[in-house]
Amino acid sequence: MLDAQAYFDRVSGHLPGDSATRASALAAAEKLGLPTRRQEAWHYTDLARLLGMAADDRIDAVDFSAIDLLMAMFEDGKLIDAPSAEGLTMQAFEAASVGDDAMRNYNAALAQDGLNVEISGALAQPLLITTSSSNAMHLHHKIKLADGAKAVMVDNHMSAAYTNARFDIALGEGAELTFIRSQQAGHQVNVSQVELARGAQFKSIALVSGGALARYEAQIKLKAEGAHAELHSAVLGRDKNHADFTYEIDHQAADTSSSTTAYNVLDDASCGVFQGKVIVRQDAQHVDAQMQTRAMMLSDGAEMDAKPELEIYADDVACAHGSAIGELDRDALFFLRARGLDEAAARHLLVAGFIEQVLAHIDDAALVDVFRALLAQKITAQFSKPEAA
Amino acid sequence: MSALLEIKNLHAGADGTPILNGLSLAIQPGEVHAIMGPNGSGKSTLSYVLSGKDGYEVSGGDMLFDGQSLADMAPEERAIAGLFLAFQYPLEIPGVTNMTFLKTSLNAILRGRGEDEMDAASFLRLAREKSLGLGMNDDMLKRQLNVGFSGGEKKRNEILQMAMLEPKLAILDETDSGLDIDALKTVAEGVNALRAPDRGILVITHYQRLLDFIKPDVVHVMAAGQIVKSGGPELALELEKSGYGEFVGETVNA
Repeated sequence: MLDAQAYFDRVSGHLPGDSATRASALAAAEKLGLPTRRQEAWHYTDLARLLGMAADDRIDAVDFSAIDLLMAMFEDGKLIDAPSAEGLTMQAFEAASVGDDAMRNYNAALAQDGLNVEISGALAQPLLITTSSSNAMHLHHKIKLADGAKAVMVDNHMSAAYTNARFDIALGEGAELTFIRSQQAGHQVNVSQVELARGAQFKSIALVSGGALARYEAQIKLKAEGAHAELHSAVLGRDKNHADFTYEIDHQAADTSSSTTAYNVLDDASCGVFQGKVIVRQDAQHVDAQMQTRAMMLSDGAEMDAKPELEIYADDVACAHGSAIGELDRDALFFLRARGLDEAAARHLLVAGFIEQVLAHIDDAALVDVFRALLAQKITAQFSKPEAA
Repeated sequence: MSALLEIKNLHAGADGTPILNGLSLAIQPGEVHAIMGPNGSGKSTLSYVLSGKDGYEVSGGDMLFDGQSLADMAPEERAIAGLFLAFQYPLEIPGVTNMTFLKTSLNAILRGRGEDEMDAASFLRLAREKSLGLGMNDDMLKRQLNVGFSGGEKKRNEILQMAMLEPKLAILDETDSGLDIDALKTVAEGVNALRAPDRGILVITHYQRLLDFIKPDVVHVMAAGQIVKSGGPELALELEKSGYGEFVGETVNA
């Protein structure tokens, strides 16, 4: 972790926006200090320790060549190539305001840049945000979909450096956003705040295939009837990788629904964390909220912490959570080997099949192919090794 | 002609418990053999030991497949050599389509035999042709492997795999269990279509019913990990009447 104050003193003159607001955000962040395990939201993630660990830096190329994309390219924290398309309005970057959360305040103080866009109508091509950096990076994105707008957004994180990213997302009535994220390396702490109006649909698919730290926090507010949110994650953990998904899904209105699935493949001494809190407000009748965590443990040293929580104040709701943590199915392994697959190929197919259940939530077949290929590469490199005899 | 499968005085067990106690059996190319026996006689263990499942120790005797000892071969090496086990309980594998699985399996076996892999179009044609013969539609090929399949669909899917892989020896482990009469007939027709002069089939079953549809050349009775009696198809009918009592020292209603 960088010395934030020294860093701020050095760069604040070059950061956009009001430097006084940034200074007060930094002061607030420094006063709160880095979150510790004493805070419930960070109970399973020892941030200071994880930030001190060597960054895992294996980054494979992600091949988007078969897809017609809109590209927002960030290098070292600055937008160097902005997308342009009908229905996409780019606005000047805005730093966030001071809040009561340390990581958000660091972001407000230090964010160099971010995408600030409003989308109307159906965006014909997926919008790809690609970030590469060799230095610590703070980004603040604001994404707004007008009523009835539709978009697919992909965040392809290609940096092994520390990243603090913030996504403020607002979906108008009937708007639909699919948000796909891929992280392969580094330390990343990010927060998504998503507000859904009547009939809006938000679908998040996070694919974490490496990284010393992946902390994905989401606060979802389903503010009006018919809003629907889905949060799906796949983790391929190796070495001491740590992937933490912490959600708060707030059903503020009746007839809203949410569905959350977390699939973790954990090898070596890697750790998966899932904390999902579903809140159903008193007036929010007929809410359907489902949470499922599944983990495939490939090593005795790996760890999975799953903590689903339901906080329900309405009386006519369908809410459920489930968790299944197990090893690779040995009978399935034998079945595949009895059909001619060697052990590595059989393991590969079982792990890929497990992860495929997350990829299946991506509607765009070409994007599924892109990420299936990336994850297959990761599985071959790490997750299909036969057990030592 | 040498035997396709020759099991000689096979002793095997699991977790230190002996299950097969000196079992001997020989199957010639073109023959269909049936092994019948009460629960606990070691029938499924025999199928697992032959196909190389982990957790079973062979402590004596040998299994020769086409003259080659199976004992030190990995399950996939046995499959590549032409041994096929139709599972009693086919596994469900989420996230893997039946089509992907079949293609991966067929190509692994072709590769293992030093042959060229099958291209996508030829594979699709073959899979469609073979599945239609078993009353399976395209949809069953696109679904996740055995996920949400009925008992009958799973067993038909096993026979589809057998038809695609064209093994030298197929072992059917209680393929009739859980099947209604129509499903049983479809499965049996699928198996009969694969009878060939160079192929052997070993049908393991508790009941005579399946043998009405797949006529065996030889019937063996297994009890306490051994073959205790062998004979022609009439032996199955006798067992249907008298049960296994004679062989296990008590009456078991078959």
